[in-house]
Amino acid sequence: MGKIIGIDLGTTNSGVAVMEAGEPTIIPSSEGGRLTPSVVAVSKQGERLVGTVAKRQAVTNPENTIFSIKRLMGRKYSSPEVKRDTELLPYKITEAPNGDAKVVMGDKEFSPPEVSAFILQKLKADAEAYLGEPVTQAVITVPAYFNDSQRQATKDAGRIAGLEVLRIINEPTASSLAYGMAKEKDEKIAVYDLGGGTFDISILEIEGGDPPVYEVLSTNGDTHLGGDDFDQEVIDYVADEFKKEQGIDIREDRMALQRLKEAAEKAKVELSTVGQAEINLPFITADASGPKHLTMTLTRAKLEQLVGDLVEKTIPPCRQALEDAKLSTSDIDEVILVGGQTRMPAVQEAVKSFFGREPHKGVNPDEVVALGAAIQAGVLGGEVKDVLLLDVTPLTLGIETLGGVATALVPRNTTIPYHTSQIFSTAADGQTSVEVHVVQGERPMAPDNKTLGRFILDGIPPAPRGVPQVEVSFDLDANGILNVSAQDKATGREQHITITASSGLSEDEIKRMVDEGKSHEADDRKRKEEIEARNHGDQAAYSADKTLRDLGDKVPADVRSDVEAKAAAVREALKGQDVELIQRKTQELTEAMQRIGAAMYEQPEATTPPPGGGAAPGGPEDEGTVEGEFREV
Amino acid sequence: MDEIVQEKPVEERAEGETDELERAEDQAAEYLDQLQRTQAEFANYKKRLEREREEFIGLANAALISKLLPILDDLERALQTVPDNLRSLTWVEGIFLIERRLRMILEQEGLTEIRAVGEQFDPELHHAVVGEETTEQGEGTIIGEMQKGYKLHDKVLRPSMVRVAALPRDKKKEEPE
Repeated sequence: MGKIIGIDLGTTNSGVAVMEAGEPTIIPSSEGGRLTPSVVAVSKQGERLVGTVAKRQAVTNPENTIFSIKRLMGRKYSSPEVKRDTELLPYKITEAPNGDAKVVMGDKEFSPPEVSAFILQKLKADAEAYLGEPVTQAVITVPAYFNDSQRQATKDAGRIAGLEVLRIINEPTASSLAYGMAKEKDEKIAVYDLGGGTFDISILEIEGGDPPVYEVLSTNGDTHLGGDDFDQEVIDYVADEFKKEQGIDIREDRMALQRLKEAAEKAKVELSTVGQAEINLPFITADASGPKHLTMTLTRAKLEQLVGDLVEKTIPPCRQALEDAKLSTSDIDEVILVGGQTRMPAVQEAVKSFFGREPHKGVNPDEVVALGAAIQAGVLGGEVKDVLLLDVTPLTLGIETLGGVATALVPRNTTIPYHTSQIFSTAADGQTSVEVHVVQGERPMAPDNKTLGRFILDGIPPAPRGVPQVEVSFDLDANGILNVSAQDKATGREQHITITASSGLSEDEIKRMVDEGKSHEADDRKRKEEIEARNHGDQAAYSADKTLRDLGDKVPADVRSDVEAKAAAVREALKGQDVELIQRKTQELTEAMQRIGAAMYEQPEATTPPPGGGAAPGGPEDEGTVEGEFREV
Repeated sequence: MDEIVQEKPVEERAEGETDELERAEDQAAEYLDQLQRTQAEFANYKKRLEREREEFIGLANAALISKLLPILDDLERALQTVPDNLRSLTWVEGIFLIERRLRMILEQEGLTEIRAVGEQFDPELHHAVVGEETTEQGEGTIIGEMQKGYKLHDKVLRPSMVRVAALPRDKKKEEPE
């Protein structure tokens, strides 16, 4: 019953994901990254290298390092695409007897599916390490424009890697799945995918239903346009400016160029969220006059000006794709953004103004294809079904405790079904009943939240406060029905209430309550602090009295009178509104109480162990389980 | 979690009832399957979480230290190029001491330098920036370090940026590969 993984086998980077508890999750590579470079090499020692490691050695071993193998998948050696790539790629491309393109690595010929299989094997191994179980089945994505032989080649790659490819799905379909498109109604979707090295636009028609049917109406794009070109524009601009000022071309210094490359990409990424970014590279180079520093502020406006043409270049393919699908922009129901470069606001703006609607974002655009593949894998594995769609509680559930505090038992966004329990106690000596007031909401004080129900548990044997143990349990089933029960541990007496309408709130109401919680945060915290200070003060004064009573004349007279005076001071402070005064007096009392313990140790004849610290027996500090106390009924 | 319902023997039941029972049985089997999957997944998840936690404890500082490395690089670059006429100033000496202290603190956290120059190139540890044709060093030997690489405990935080010896082109052709 192994897991089925979803694989995005990309031109520059590949990713793998799997369904976990109903959610698609990216599996990190053994090097700790979330993506694996689609690079394969054979080292001089004949060792096969895949991913980051292969990329690192590329410069020393260019003729045996294969990247962008996807461009050759299922292609004939004589095809114009291969002819073009032969000029761009540093490794040797040859012709197989059947006319397919092949590559040479370590003096051996490999077919593109074999090379892709090496990448898949690494992803498979990473997935197995992550999941702790063997993986034998996968869903792999391909560009929508891949023809039959390219799809077959991808399938073969999977088989060579020891994976049964259950389904080959189109990348834009995977993206739509990741965005949860078209559950019920029919929709037409444009998927705009601007990755590291390629740009694809796909128009899909989805027929709603179970399962929904995806049809690719048209595709277009530019196989040599992507984020790397954006980086290059920035690098060239910065290097040109530097040359103008200093007369040195840092592009000629490999290390300086490497540093600039990293800084340029970082600045580009930063400019997606802030208005300006600083490129700061001290000691970038030197000449006879001494070291040179590169510092430059790049604004978003400047970046947009630099890459404006590149962004513009993506629009004609969009227009063509629409035309081929015989649709106009007004026919498109949804637009989805895929690929890291779509994080750039100018790209989003261009897409928005062309299609006339706000594009969907939110799912990590680098990972969306792999996540979608994992969802498809989950469907095939029978894992994605309604029965597994777990709900969460939209609001916090809790009960009212001493001073009107809402004590949370089920925090918001807890996945249900859920069960929890906590032990509470009484607030007064001899208290024989407690009221359980069940509240829902984000405010820390119970009266500000919504009351879901209340009941009384009585028949508690009279005891000093803090001694009785009442266990309150919340049980929330998969349908959101809440069962609250309270049981006195001593007598076993129990009361409960079932609340069916706990999730009967509308979306708007829930949103309002969550927002309200946020807007009142500061006030509420202050009030809660005040209540807590009062509760502490009250508890400390009570403990002081009790300790003095219990120990009788074992307490030296001077200590006794000091504690008594300080306890009185706390009670006096509790009558007023000054929270700080309450806190200070409580602190003083707690310190004085410690002297009781100290004094007891000094009496060698003392036989009973003295209560140490400020906590009184039965007090909340003594028992980890007692977190709050009921109000007196 | 529900108790398994006691069933009547099949032959005693009417047709419609059989259908219903079959459906219920199918559903029960499906639910059991889902439960088993979920439980297995949860068990594995717990194991993985445990493993990850152990890793994280050792590498809690990795992200921050990675961000500090460029500062260390810059400081190093600055100190490598101190003009000779300033070198004797005690003020400059102070900056050297600051660099040493920063390095010491990071070393105490488990940071170690990756050895590069003179070593055989290893893509697990080094990133080749340039391949340099030379006959003086064996192919694959690191002949220059352009930026230091570091490990935190056993994990490579950042590979060294290096220049690697390559065979000169003309010589390569002669080699019967």
